[in-house]
Amino acid sequence: MDTLAHLMAGLTAALSLQNLAFALIGCVLGTLIGVLPGLGPAAGTAILIPLTFKLDPTGALIMLSAIYYGAMYGGTVTSVLINVPGEAASVITCIDGHQMAKQGRGGTALAIAAIGSFVGGIVATIALVVVAPPLAQVALKFGPPEFFALMLVGLCLITGLGGRSLLAGLTMAILGLLIAMVGIDPVRGAPRFTLGIPSLYDGLGFIPVVMGLFGVAEILLGIEQPRHQVIKTDLASLLPSREEWRRSIGAIGRGTGIGFFLGLIPGVGAIIPTFVAYVFEKRLSKTPERFGHGAIEGVAAPESANNAYANAAMIPLLTLGIPSSPTIAVLMGAFIINGLTPGPFLFQERPDLVWAVIASFFLGNILLLVLNLPFVGLWARILYLPYPYVCVGTLLFCVIGAYSLQQNVFDIGVMIACGIIGYGMRKIDMPIAPLVLGLILGPFLEKSLRTSLEMSAGDFSIFFTRPLCLTLLVLAGIVLVASALRLPPRELREASTT
Amino acid sequence: MPTSGSKALKLGWQVACLCLLGIFVPALVTSLGYSLTDALGPGPGFFPFWLSLIGAVLSVAILVQVTLAKAAEGTAIGLAPDRRMALQAIGVLIALTAAAVLFEPLGYRLTMLPFIVGVLLILGARSPIAIALTALAGSFGVFHVFYHWLKVPLPIGAFGM
Repeated sequence: MDTLAHLMAGLTAALSLQNLAFALIGCVLGTLIGVLPGLGPAAGTAILIPLTFKLDPTGALIMLSAIYYGAMYGGTVTSVLINVPGEAASVITCIDGHQMAKQGRGGTALAIAAIGSFVGGIVATIALVVVAPPLAQVALKFGPPEFFALMLVGLCLITGLGGRSLLAGLTMAILGLLIAMVGIDPVRGAPRFTLGIPSLYDGLGFIPVVMGLFGVAEILLGIEQPRHQVIKTDLASLLPSREEWRRSIGAIGRGTGIGFFLGLIPGVGAIIPTFVAYVFEKRLSKTPERFGHGAIEGVAAPESANNAYANAAMIPLLTLGIPSSPTIAVLMGAFIINGLTPGPFLFQERPDLVWAVIASFFLGNILLLVLNLPFVGLWARILYLPYPYVCVGTLLFCVIGAYSLQQNVFDIGVMIACGIIGYGMRKIDMPIAPLVLGLILGPFLEKSLRTSLEMSAGDFSIFFTRPLCLTLLVLAGIVLVASALRLPPRELREASTT
Repeated sequence: MPTSGSKALKLGWQVACLCLLGIFVPALVTSLGYSLTDALGPGPGFFPFWLSLIGAVLSVAILVQVTLAKAAEGTAIGLAPDRRMALQAIGVLIALTAAAVLFEPLGYRLTMLPFIVGVLLILGARSPIAIALTALAGSFGVFHVFYHWLKVPLPIGAFGM
């Protein structure tokens, strides 16, 4: 009952003209980011943060969340029309979506993707409403040792599931944690690794680093990639036939379930749910030979899973303060910029904000359906935009975003340096996600470790004498050992690095 | 991480490992200068010390693993872009660096106007009208939107621009 009252209050706040406008702007910008090949949701959300600097925190977070799930919607357009995923989670959609476009059924592919995404998003948001409050209540009982262990589990999952090599993932996570140590020590106030540079006293900014690693690096990689031909396809007839509906309904339901449950696990990433949903549909089908040749279930299932995942991935962030992917880490950064720490206390301290943001997910999904169905032709036209202009637009936002957070040119330099590093990392397939997650979790991880050890006067046994903490540490160990033994199926590990 | 793969990829990983060691080892040495423990428990150097140590060990492990892995002949993938694209990428980076240097002295508008023109020309845009319109919109237009409407502070430099 309490939850319902909070949700209604959140809906009232989200339905205010101002917040509705922020959600709409976020959905449009997010879809645009998704449509533009090469500009992923992490970079897109990061570069658009400056748009929200002067908004109130509720409006800012509604808009940034809308950008995030809007990008998840928009990636489908490029997958279907040019066989290039607008964002990584749409990779699987390329297989059958592009075949459908070649057969003149591009409109139907995009429509079923939009409908599947809508259903996935709405169902996952309903589940979020049900699951988040009790989970936050449980998390309120956690002390610093439990939070330390929980963050360790999150990092282990991300490094274990997030790439082909556990060693490389761990090294990158540690590098991220170490970079997070730059600046004033939060407990004692002593400067660390500042090299006498005053700009480093506040640490290396998360946003400039992310903009560099994703935004600038993607621009540099995009320069190398050949331009793709847009398929001429029928975008006028959107509605699927009766037979296509029949095939899609089950696929959407199963994709939603898979996306939601995998979204609860930090580190799974957006690609794995889509991949699992696709493989599941193919195995379940009586005519698996149609997959790869324009099967509508091959679009409906992964797209539903994609958006269910996107909304479900907000649960670990909002209830535990654990980001499950780089994009969610960027959103966490946006919370922190607005003076808020995601986690269970947020439900107590700012229920108005949390519930307005959650309620906006419902509105955002409705807005996205409206934007994606009738205006699909318009989004398709954006694909004709020449790359140099896309590149310049992205760079402008990167420069403004990096500078305006602290009005410091040094941050633009950090962004450029991280862009070069990110480019190199992508070239040799070194995992970036663990680095970003380590960077955002570093201060929290250190603070909870040190507070725990202060509680026990430096005695490490505090981590092994509290049952929940011990359970979480054992879980972290199991994840690492399983990853080292390469227990996750090879296809899943490879899907996660695609 | 390549257990077998092209020589270029292997070299790339080796260079990356050395770069990582170039970060972790100095960080390890520096962290020893901060106190590892104090009266309240772990000190400011505690976390960085262990992170640097583990990071350095892992980097060495990757380096050894990569070095011992066989590099398959004839499977070289294009790690380096072709000359024209490499020049374009370098051009964009130079333009970005120049923009960063001039950003505060010249102000947003006077910096971004030539920056946009330069990047568009580097990337092969040739329509003078489209370039001019994009440059004006990206410098003066964007400044107006961010500075006046969104209240985002952007630098005003020489000539009040």
